[in-house]
Amino acid sequence: MSAARQSGAGRAGDPRPRRISNVLALAWREAGLMRHDPTFLAVVFAQPIMMLLLLGFALSNEPANVPLAVLDRSATAASRRLVEEVVATGYFLPPRPVSGYAEGRKLLEGGDAVAFLVIPDDFARDALGGAARVQVLLDGADPLSAARVGGILRSVAAQFDPSGRAVAARREDAPRPARGAFDLRKRFWFNPTLADRDFFLAGIAGMLLTNLCLSVTALGLVAERENGTFEQTLSLPTRPLEIVIGKILPYIGVSYLVLGIATFGSGLLFGIWPAGSWLALLVLTLPFVCASLAIGVLVSALARTSAQAVFITVFFILPSMILSGVLLPYQLMPDGAREVGAILPLRWYQIGLRRIVSRGGGLEEVWLPFLALCAIFAALLLLIRWRLKPRLA
Amino acid sequence: MSEPILRAEGLTRRFGDFTAVDRLDLAIEPGTLFAFLGGNGSGKSTTIRMLIGLLTPTEGRIELDGIDVLREPRRVRDRIGYMGQKVSLYQGLTLRENVEFYAGLYGLEGGRLAERWGEVRERMALAEAENERVEDLPAGIRQRSGLALATLHGPRLLFLDEPTAGVDVDSRGLFWERIQEEAERGVTVFVTTHFLEETDYCDRVAFIDAGRLVVDTTPEELRARYSEGYRIAATPPPERAAATLAALERAGFAVVERGPALALRRATLDHAALAALAEAAAMGAELHVEPASMNGIFTRLILENASAREAA
Amino acid sequence: MSARRLLTLLRREVRATLRDPFTVAVLILVPLVALLSFSFVLSTEVEDLSLGVLDASGSYESRRIVAELEADGSFVPRPYATRAELEAALVSGEISAAIVFPPDFQRALLARAPGQPPPEVQLLYDGAETVLAGNAEGFLQGLINAAGAELVGPEAARGGVVVEMRALFNETLDGTPFMVAGTFGFVLSFLTTLITAVAIVNEKIGGTFDQLQLTPATNLEIFLGKLLPLGGMFAFDVVLMMFASGFVLGVWPRGNALFFVAVSSFYVMTSLALGLFFSATSATAAEAVQKTVFASIPLVQLSGFAFPIRNMPMAIQWLTEVLPATHYIRISRAIYLRGAGPLDLLPELGALTVFAVLLVGGSLRSLARRP
Repeated sequence: MSAARQSGAGRAGDPRPRRISNVLALAWREAGLMRHDPTFLAVVFAQPIMMLLLLGFALSNEPANVPLAVLDRSATAASRRLVEEVVATGYFLPPRPVSGYAEGRKLLEGGDAVAFLVIPDDFARDALGGAARVQVLLDGADPLSAARVGGILRSVAAQFDPSGRAVAARREDAPRPARGAFDLRKRFWFNPTLADRDFFLAGIAGMLLTNLCLSVTALGLVAERENGTFEQTLSLPTRPLEIVIGKILPYIGVSYLVLGIATFGSGLLFGIWPAGSWLALLVLTLPFVCASLAIGVLVSALARTSAQAVFITVFFILPSMILSGVLLPYQLMPDGAREVGAILPLRWYQIGLRRIVSRGGGLEEVWLPFLALCAIFAALLLLIRWRLKPRLA
Repeated sequence: MSEPILRAEGLTRRFGDFTAVDRLDLAIEPGTLFAFLGGNGSGKSTTIRMLIGLLTPTEGRIELDGIDVLREPRRVRDRIGYMGQKVSLYQGLTLRENVEFYAGLYGLEGGRLAERWGEVRERMALAEAENERVEDLPAGIRQRSGLALATLHGPRLLFLDEPTAGVDVDSRGLFWERIQEEAERGVTVFVTTHFLEETDYCDRVAFIDAGRLVVDTTPEELRARYSEGYRIAATPPPERAAATLAALERAGFAVVERGPALALRRATLDHAALAALAEAAAMGAELHVEPASMNGIFTRLILENASAREAA
Repeated sequence: MSARRLLTLLRREVRATLRDPFTVAVLILVPLVALLSFSFVLSTEVEDLSLGVLDASGSYESRRIVAELEADGSFVPRPYATRAELEAALVSGEISAAIVFPPDFQRALLARAPGQPPPEVQLLYDGAETVLAGNAEGFLQGLINAAGAELVGPEAARGGVVVEMRALFNETLDGTPFMVAGTFGFVLSFLTTLITAVAIVNEKIGGTFDQLQLTPATNLEIFLGKLLPLGGMFAFDVVLMMFASGFVLGVWPRGNALFFVAVSSFYVMTSLALGLFFSATSATAAEAVQKTVFASIPLVQLSGFAFPIRNMPMAIQWLTEVLPATHYIRISRAIYLRGAGPLDLLPELGALTVFAVLLVGGSLRSLARRP
């Protein structure tokens, strides 16, 4: 191998094509290796499906099967109807009647009930006079559920009409008898039933791609370094930057494949298709994937053994999932945490994803996330160059 | 002829359809330095793993020092020492700490350990490296450490799996001297290697190819049977040429080339041959003796085995 | 089983681990970081939420209501002139909720003839952010009704049934203790399994595993020699996290702290055994990790750590009972939040014991099996 080839300059006056062809050749080889790696294939195919099933079917913040204890001291038609209306919301299991206050409280303390409704004995009389009161005790050990259930009970109570007219259940636009200062009409845009599933699945591509780009690149590169095959690659007549790009290129392709699986999976299984511009989705994904891959490369440069790479990667992915807002709202996090999350590519990607997938936005709506992702990617490239230079020199 | 200390009968190991080791029989006498050769994929590693009990044979018996290994695997552990291809030293500890660890597992502690380690350390020239972290040790010292650990508890049988792989040529010779010392002290050493020249250090050589034992004999015997023997280049002074040639021919040297420089062959170098060579040297001849290349021998063996398998 | 040999094995393991700064950092930092970041994620609060305001009436009353919303601190009102602009702002995510007052708001509110309906006020929520919208709805409704009662007087504003609500154990419905208890479950399930899997695979690759098997050490000793130090370190982590959440977050267990540490250490053994399983079938550290992570994602999500099991479909709820993490998290929350004692938790402890026996027994067997 002559010195001229080693510098990657190629034939005189012909530097660019040689570099590009080197990169493509490396990329092709990398893609070939991918196809035969069973762990990799599992991550690419099995994980999206598992996540789709998990997020689509299992996980939810919306209360269901809530155990309710009821102490009905009034035992009148009115009190019974109140309980019926509560049950009619569909969130509760058949209520457990208790015979005394202590019994109900015991159920709460043992975690066997989330809410304990106590209807006083003069309920019916007070209700007719417009001054009915009930008591609700909640299991504070499960605060989110308790808060939601409390809200549900409050809203049923607020709409309760002792005279029995118009049991409206949950239909928001049903005509209601005039009560209270306002007639509050609420609507949930983009997601009328406020189903958690829509929220989770909008962000699923982000979760899958983060895992893919980070763990697979980091682990893959470090494993190669340990095996010695990386050194072998370095000895080829290409420049280090070309090598890195050549390795990363196929992952970009695979990322789009995973995006496709996630999108079509949500659509076919749950009927959740992107409401906005597909083009915007494709465009936004590029800087995100590049940034995530860059993080993977950086991690592999920092880690000295594959065990180290493993831990750095996994424990970068975790805060990504939490702070980015892909599973739980980032807006509610305390001040410091919220800002820290802004440096994560996943944060910007999921903001963009929700704008496109849930709210039906297009390129104009996502220009800010797009720029932010490009900026993060650029910053990472600089970091990589700084870090990798002495190593490969 | 004493009782064999290692005996394997009909040793077989199959992985699904593939037979890695096929009805191997071995009988090794105590104190033998036994070389076990084979290429990659020949079944060499599988065999040694079965012999030491890391792998269960599909068929066959193994007896070490009178103990049936399959029936009582734990009883043999005190009596065998093993050095694997990757020297198993724990990172993050010094050599001394590794020694204390392994010794502790064999119940070797305190004063007895100090004595024993003192001996071994001396022999293996490890005094300087004792308090170094194992990550910092160069390859040669690492190999010697592996050997030291394997012999520390005074086993009667030593199993060394490619102990000189990754060691430079000069260190290899020194390493073999250590191994030979063990054998001289009565330890039976079973060594696998694929460096063919190393067989000359050993008492016996066995060769495995495609799972079958192809030959099991001494290095000299191997040369005698399978090679063209020794090659001798003799350049006698012109005035004594004829006399030298005659003397050598009388001693049984076959002449391959005549001329000012003679090329001769002889299967073995026995007493008579050596005397003839001494005579030639005394007459002023320049001599150059080369033993048969093991490479050639093994190539022949492999070919023979292959045709034997085809015929079967 | 020789105590001496076991001690030798233990001494080596502890020594080697303590000398590896990376491992020590992972063991100490990760649980702490997890603790601090997870505790903040669950919130029923609302703060500084952008609220779009489309006020067609421009009346004193409507402005007063908006002012009260702003004063509360939960919402940040932003005026919009047209419906189209309001909707565009919702789409672009500029606002998370919107309130729309009709043109005749003032009249309908104050000069209402009997039998006439009250003014219709529209509340729009960004349904794309479900948790946010859910929280916002609760707050907004309450605040508006309160403001309304002030404007028209309590008589006219009255209606329906008033609910006196109280929460046991957690008056403010603060999500922090809930998440803290759950984080123990997360760390002790995920981190322990991961570290164990990697440690054992590395040992296998290094060749030291073979060497160990040839020494007089029994499989049980090798097993314990690996697991006891790891278990000890994780038990230390439990205590560390307990103190951290106490001093930094102000969350202490309501029940017996020693009982909690004991149960947690017991659970650690189960996770370690699981880690052993994953490593037994892997050839490289990367493979062990992928397997662990792949299995851990559903394990953690389904264990009730962040999402209540009760909300899941019944069939899946049965499935979650099979996961050891589910039972541990239940125990952890019961001790931390409800002050439960051993007698209250007998069924859960029983389940955990069964899992421990199965997993530890199974992994011992896999270790003993010669290939």
